[in-house]
Amino acid sequence: MSTPTETAVSSSSGFSRLQELWNEYLPYWFMTPMVLVVLLITIFPGAYDMYLALVKYKLTDPTTIGQFNGLANFETAFGSRNALNSFRITIVFVAGALVLETALGFVLAALVTGVSSKRMKTFYRVAFILPMAVAPVSLATIGRIMLNPEIGVIPYMVRTFTPFVAPNLLSDVPLLTVILADVWNWTPFMFIIFYAGMSSVPETLVEASRVDGAPLWRRYAHVIIPHMKPVLFVAILIRLIDLFRTFGLTFSLTSGGPGSQTELVSINIFETGFTFVDLGAAAAIAIIYLIGIVALCNILIIKVGFEGVWD
Amino acid sequence: MASVEDAAEPDRRLPKSTRKRLVETGRHALLLVWSFVVLFPLYWIISMSLKPPSEAIALPPDWIFLPTVYNYIQLLQEGSFVDAFLNSVFMISASVVLVLVIGVPAAYVLSRYDIPRQRDVLVWILSSRMLPPVAVIIPFFVIFRALNLYDTRIGMIFMYVTINISVVVWVMKAFFDGIPETLEEAARVDGATQFQAFRKVILPAAKPGIFSVAIISFIFAWIELLFSLVLTNSRAVTVTMEVYQFIGVRQIEWGMLAAATTATIVPVVVFVIAVNKYLAAGLSFGVVIKE
Repeated sequence: MSTPTETAVSSSSGFSRLQELWNEYLPYWFMTPMVLVVLLITIFPGAYDMYLALVKYKLTDPTTIGQFNGLANFETAFGSRNALNSFRITIVFVAGALVLETALGFVLAALVTGVSSKRMKTFYRVAFILPMAVAPVSLATIGRIMLNPEIGVIPYMVRTFTPFVAPNLLSDVPLLTVILADVWNWTPFMFIIFYAGMSSVPETLVEASRVDGAPLWRRYAHVIIPHMKPVLFVAILIRLIDLFRTFGLTFSLTSGGPGSQTELVSINIFETGFTFVDLGAAAAIAIIYLIGIVALCNILIIKVGFEGVWD
Repeated sequence: MASVEDAAEPDRRLPKSTRKRLVETGRHALLLVWSFVVLFPLYWIISMSLKPPSEAIALPPDWIFLPTVYNYIQLLQEGSFVDAFLNSVFMISASVVLVLVIGVPAAYVLSRYDIPRQRDVLVWILSSRMLPPVAVIIPFFVIFRALNLYDTRIGMIFMYVTINISVVVWVMKAFFDGIPETLEEAARVDGATQFQAFRKVILPAAKPGIFSVAIISFIFAWIELLFSLVLTNSRAVTVTMEVYQFIGVRQIEWGMLAAATTATIVPVVVFVIAVNKYLAAGLSFGVVIKE
C-alpha cells in the first residue's frame, strides 16, 4: 500500500484524496465536534436564557409568548418567587457542605493513608467511596425511610436509647439535614482525590520530617499540604461547581420545603419554570445564577489557579 | 524541638510501642465509625428490600429475617421500572461512547499541538460544567419541543454528552500529556500516518485513562435526575425518574420503594468496587492520574 501522504497519490482516486485531507487537517477534524458541542452548551443556553428573561414566556398564555417584557420577569423572580431567599439558602448550603466535605475527606484520607495493614486499608478505601454510587434520588428515598418519624430507624434509636425526644430531622432542621445528606453522598469524592494526592507526596520528605521529630500538625502544614496544593485546589473547585449544580437530592428529599427552607436556587428555577410554567421568570433567575457562578469560578481559577497553584 | 522535650520529661510519656498501639487503635476506631455511617444506610435499604411487607417497617427492626424476593417480583411486574432501567443503561452507554468519540481526539490535539491560548480553551471547556443544569435545561426544553426531540432517546443521549464532555477532555489531556511523544514519532518513522499513530499507538497507551473517564461519565449520567424530569414523559424515562415517581405515588409501599432504590444502587456499587482503582483520575479531572 502506498502511503497516502505522498503527493503522487493525490491524483489517483477520490478516496485517497479524502484520506489525504483527513490526515492533513487531522487536528481540525479532531477538534471540531468538541468545539461545536461546547459552543452549543455554553454560548447557546446563556444567550437563550438572556432572551427568555426579557420576554413573556408563560406556557399557560401562549398568545403572549415572545412579547418583550422589559424587566418584569426579574420583578417576578425577586418579588413573588423570592429568589433572593434562594440565593441565601444556596450560599449556606454550598459553603456548609463544601467545608464539611473538604475537612472530612482530608481527615479520612490522612487516617487511611496511615493504616499499616494492607487488607484494612483496601477495606476502608473501597467502603468509603461507596456512597458515590448512590444516586441523589436514591439517597433521598433512603433518607425518607430512615428519618421518617413513624417508621424511621434513626428516630427510633434516639427514642429508645437516649432520653431525648426524637427529632423530625426533615422538618425541624431541614437545611442541616440536606447538607449532611450531601456530605454522606459526596465526601467520597474528596476522600478519593485527597487519598490519591497524599500517596503521591514523596515518602522521603514525610520520613525526613518524622525523623526531625516535627509535630504532626507541622508535618501536614509544611510538607504534605504544600505538596498537595494543586490536588486540593482542583478537588475544591470541582466540588464547588458541582455543589452549585445540586438539584436531585434536595428536590427529592425535601422538595425545597418545609415552606421554602431548603429552596435552593436550582429548585426555585425549576418550580418557577415548570410548576408555575413561567419560563421567562425562571430564565431571569437562571441568568443571574449562571453569571454569578461563572464569574466566581473564573476568579478562583485565575486568581488562585493560574497565579498560585498551577505556576 | 520535640526531641528536646522528650529528653527533658521522659517518664511522663508512655513507652513508644504502647503509644503506637494507642494511635493505631484510635485510628481504627474513627475509621470504623465512619465505615458504619457509610455502610449502615446501604445495609438498611438492601435488607428492607428483602423483607416481606409485614416486617418491612417493623420497629424494633427484625435483625434476623427470612429474605424474600417478593418486592422484586412486584417491581418486575410493574414493567415500567424494568423499561426505565434498560432505557437508562442503553441511553447512557450510547452517550458514553459518543462523548468519548467527541472528547478523546480533541484532548489529543490539546495535548500535542500548539493551540493558541490553550489554557483559556481548557477553562472554556470546563465552564460548560459550571453552568447549572437547571439554567441550561430551560433553553433546551424550548428547543427540544421545537425540534421534536422532547421525550426521545436521542435528545437524552445528547444531554448526557453535555454533562461529561468537560471531564473527558480534561482527564484525557492529562493522560496524553503523560505519554511520551517519542512513541508516536517512532510510529511515524515506521511510515504510519498521524491518524494511524494515534489509533494504533497512543490510544492503546491511554487505555487506563479512557477506562477511567468512561466509568466516571457513566456514573455522572446514571445519577442524573433533572434531565429526565424536564425532557421526558414516557418513552425516554430514566431509572432515577422512576424512583422519583415512586416517592410520590408509592409512599406507602415501602418494600417496593426499597427494592427500586436498591436496584439503582447495587449495580453501581458492584461496578465501583470492581473499578475503584480507576476512579481518582477521572474525578480529579486528571490532576492525579495514578494512585
